[in-house]
Amino acid sequence: MKEHYSLPSRWLAGKSGYQVLDYVWWALMALTLASAWLAESAEPSLVVTLFVAVTIGLKGRLVVDRFMELKNAHQGIRFAMNLYFYLLPLVVVLVYLFPEFLADLTKLSR
Amino acid sequence: MSTVPIGSSDFPLQNSEALAVPADNRVPGNGAIWVGIFAEMSEFALMFLVYFLAKVHYPEFFDQGPLQLNTTAGVLNTLALLTSSYFVAKAMQSVRMGYNQRAIRWLWGTVAAAVFYLLVKAWEYQWNSQQGIEVDTNLFFTVYYYMTFNHFLHVFWGGGAILWAIWRLKSGYYTADSHEGMEAIASYWHMIDLVWIIIFPLLYVLR
Repeated sequence: MKEHYSLPSRWLAGKSGYQVLDYVWWALMALTLASAWLAESAEPSLVVTLFVAVTIGLKGRLVVDRFMELKNAHQGIRFAMNLYFYLLPLVVVLVYLFPEFLADLTKLSR
Repeated sequence: MSTVPIGSSDFPLQNSEALAVPADNRVPGNGAIWVGIFAEMSEFALMFLVYFLAKVHYPEFFDQGPLQLNTTAGVLNTLALLTSSYFVAKAMQSVRMGYNQRAIRWLWGTVAAAVFYLLVKAWEYQWNSQQGIEVDTNLFFTVYYYMTFNHFLHVFWGGGAILWAIWRLKSGYYTADSHEGMEAIASYWHMIDLVWIIIFPLLYVLR
């Protein structure tokens, strides 16, 4: 059966795990500085919220797979850790899109 | 800990690029550390839930709060923690390649990054106080202090665990073939980093 690899996986193929960590670190630094720039300059908007949500997901996945070395580890552990970084960005976006609805849903008295 | 030791007994280490690839489907460290990690992640998940609930009920506080915080301190802390995690990952791979002295140097880098984080955070709390920001200023800052101080404590004792790993490495306890304890400590440290990856945008970026 033909195996499919994502673009980053293909690009990283042939590099040692020790080397790959350097690229991951640079990516994490860049994503953090981009978020910092947003915090200082951009007004709240859907685009900013989406960017933040995707950044949380990407950084989380990079640390889970590459630093924590869960990429080839126990599937249950990897799934649970990655799930955290799918669900949390989703909640970030939902809270931005439907704040009144969620506030109403979580009121103690009606 | 099971590894596929390319560069171990069957393949003696002969150069610095020798590799040790962790075996597939393994549990990094040991089962107990993952119980701890998931317990900690659940604890922080509850804090994030409180953050989101407070945000939808008091949007004005959560719109203005991030603007009042010191973004530079938040960014420096993020860079420090991500770098500390990178150092731990480098140390882990160094041990697998049999380079314990190199691993020790990477772990001292982690300790330095952790101390830097703690100092920046302490300075940030003092700076907040000078701006009139306290725990009870409003709900945003209550959540901010509860979340960040809790995380601060984790960095403190996580740093202690890293010092323990350094001592064990120096004692020759960890080898290329046997380093379960160090891997457990490394996994725990990465968890601390992961939590900050979420805290930073929630408190300093999102409005």
